[in-house]
Amino acid sequence: MKGVVFNLLEDAVVREHGLLAWDGLLEMAGLDGAYTSLGSYPDSEVVRLVDAASTALGLSAGEVLRWFGRSAIPLLHERYEMFFTPHKNAQSFVASINDIIHPEVRKLYAGAGCPHFHFHDLEDGRTGLAYKSPRRMCRLAHGFIEGAADHYGDRVAIEHLACMLDGQPVCRIALDWNP
Amino acid sequence: MKQEAIPLPHDAAMAVERLERLVQREREGRLQAEAIAERGLRELYESQVRLALLQRITDCANRSNDFSEAIGEVLKEICEHMNWAFGTAYRVEGYGAAVACDAWYTAEPARLFPLVEATRDRTFASGEGLPGRVLRDGHPHWIDESELATSFCRRVEAASCGIRSACGFPVLIGEEIVCVLEFFARTAMIDKDAILLTVTQAATQLARVIERERARAALLHDALHDAMTGLPNRTLLDERSRAAFERLPESREGLAVLVIDLDGFKAINDKYGHHAGDIVLIETARRFDSVITARMGGRRRGDQASWRATLARVGGDEFVVVLDALPDPAIAMDLSGALIDALKAPIQVADEYVNVGLSIGIAHSGTSYSSVEQLRQDADLAMYEAKSGGHGGVVTFSDSLGNERRNRMALESELRDAIREKQFTLYYQPIFALGKAGANTGKLRGFEALIRWNHPDRGLVEPGRFIPAAEAGGLIVFIGDWVLRQACSAMARLHRSLTERGFAPGELPYISINIAPQQFLQPTFSSHVQRVLLETGVPPELVRLEVTEGVAIIDPDQTRQVLEQVRSWGVKTSLDDFGTGYSSLSYLQNLPFDTLKIDRSFIASMDDPKSRKIIRAILDLASNLNLSVVAEGIETMEQGASLREMGCEYGQGYHLGRPLDEASAFALVWPEGTASAA
Repeated sequence: MKGVVFNLLEDAVVREHGLLAWDGLLEMAGLDGAYTSLGSYPDSEVVRLVDAASTALGLSAGEVLRWFGRSAIPLLHERYEMFFTPHKNAQSFVASINDIIHPEVRKLYAGAGCPHFHFHDLEDGRTGLAYKSPRRMCRLAHGFIEGAADHYGDRVAIEHLACMLDGQPVCRIALDWNP
Repeated sequence: MKQEAIPLPHDAAMAVERLERLVQREREGRLQAEAIAERGLRELYESQVRLALLQRITDCANRSNDFSEAIGEVLKEICEHMNWAFGTAYRVEGYGAAVACDAWYTAEPARLFPLVEATRDRTFASGEGLPGRVLRDGHPHWIDESELATSFCRRVEAASCGIRSACGFPVLIGEEIVCVLEFFARTAMIDKDAILLTVTQAATQLARVIERERARAALLHDALHDAMTGLPNRTLLDERSRAAFERLPESREGLAVLVIDLDGFKAINDKYGHHAGDIVLIETARRFDSVITARMGGRRRGDQASWRATLARVGGDEFVVVLDALPDPAIAMDLSGALIDALKAPIQVADEYVNVGLSIGIAHSGTSYSSVEQLRQDADLAMYEAKSGGHGGVVTFSDSLGNERRNRMALESELRDAIREKQFTLYYQPIFALGKAGANTGKLRGFEALIRWNHPDRGLVEPGRFIPAAEAGGLIVFIGDWVLRQACSAMARLHRSLTERGFAPGELPYISINIAPQQFLQPTFSSHVQRVLLETGVPPELVRLEVTEGVAIIDPDQTRQVLEQVRSWGVKTSLDDFGTGYSSLSYLQNLPFDTLKIDRSFIASMDDPKSRKIIRAILDLASNLNLSVVAEGIETMEQGASLREMGCEYGQGYHLGRPLDEASAFALVWPEGTASAA
């Protein structure tokens, strides 16, 4: 997992719960917590941090991830404004997500695995988003999309049609940009 | 630094606050450092990816000589790299429109079907649509989501495919736009600088492919076209006419070959130089091409037309038109007439206007032909028939022409046997000094050697019956050689016996030998004459070589050189049949002749005052140029007397002496006393 994810999580936690909360979370997760966006760290450390937050806040891991995704967008905008400015709405921004993520991952580790979001049209006119990753962080994606809608002042209805967490081979999410 | 100068926290809360500020500063320092490093890494990564893409595109461009092959791969690479939905290309042809070349790429053909269909057969005029705007302005154009939704001409199709942005790029060779690339994305095109850098470099590689394609096409064109006129050459004509012959229906009808030869072209070349000749050929080709194009209704080969034509230049001044899929054979004759009309207006060469005529031979396909080459030969034959009329025109090959050809071919074959089996014999016609006015027949001065063919079945055959066939079949050189050698050795024999009988060298008769143009213009002719003179021992000054104006017309320079050479050994030269051909005074002035022979036709019509005037003019001319004159074909005493009156020195003809075999002819030389003593 890219270091920037840990940084974003730290920022989100600090912003909402204070500087010491992050240290507490690290302590609960048994991690030493020196993360830089230039580095890459074991996926298990994110899982442990999310589990710790889940315990501390009394939320499900999925809810923590969704909260994290939604909270991360303003932070991302602070760090990477250039990814946001070309887009006039959240739909356009979300559609470009692969273009943003792939170079960001590969610039550090040429062979690193990237999540791939496959966009397609659904018969009912909604946008389909298929996601397959061993990390199974579809809830994080859900939160990112909500955060993007917040950022552009748009509305979006998100429905999980199928989920890897329910044993499905792939997550399928329906996005309705005109709910 | 003194310790008391630094303010320290007084209590723990303040210390925590300070430590928090410290952490915050560290944090921001780290973020800045990360941002700098990330930006650098991202730029490095992107340039590596772009270089890798360009490397693949360059490799593809290096591999490919064919634009249509390279473009598909290039579109695919760019679309995949940019994550674009659809890429396509337009060729820009001479008339300033972007024409879709059915080269496109999309990873989702089914999804993009409406836009692909609305694009793949389109032609955009300059200024029209995205490709037209690129073509008009010569620089890239970008179309964003709002423009795409409102004014884009394929907006309905684009919208139905979820397209949100588009861009178009020119492919340039120098200043010329040769191709337009067009891309569509389902997201916004954000980093325009990076896109520009990448696609422009890809376009440069594509331009290289097009340049190579053009160079190849030019080479191929040069190999199949005549450099001077730009018309198809013999190779391409052969290829097309064979293909057309293969395509003939069961009836074998519908193909015609026109063989066209310019009349008077040689004279233009000789008079005004080769540059003038070239101008004539180029202008002729241009007029022919426009006539044929107009007759086909403005349609060129390859378009749907009721019939097709290939105009080719196959030799110096020889053109061929192959007409294919003719619904009516009369079209060939009509077209021939139109071609002749097209050359009626004179052609301007420098400050002069020149005229050329045409001789056209036509042959139509039919069941009797098994190859297009036979058709060409028959068209050739018809052309020669048209040319032999002297005034050009059109002749369509017919069976009777074919029979003539078969007869001539049979004759040629018999002539080959005749050469092998030595069936020729020489007759000798005496040439006399006509003597002084008022006197009687003068002294015998020489003989003209005349060939006869002693045919095993038909007896003696006159030269008029076989010499044209021998000339056409290239056999005249062998026959002429035999005549030269035979006449010289016969004369040498005669001279020996006369010398033995006490004849003074000045009293010995000369021998006049006809030399055919083909024989005369052989590069080895003069050295061959020298060898014959040495081998037979005949005195060179008693040998006269007779040539017609034909040789001078074919190659005046070579003619002068050969004449000068043989005269340098003492051989005399004679211009035969004077008055019937071009009778150009320039030939007479420039070519070294000793004798003029007035053609028999003027002698035969001597009763006509006009003929007498011509004869008088020829005699005056010869006298001024210091040439002796022999009148041919004197058949009556009156003719002989008149010529003598006019001052003609020498003559030959039935009235004076018929051609005789060697023994009878040479017997004329013996003075009666000597003859009886022998």
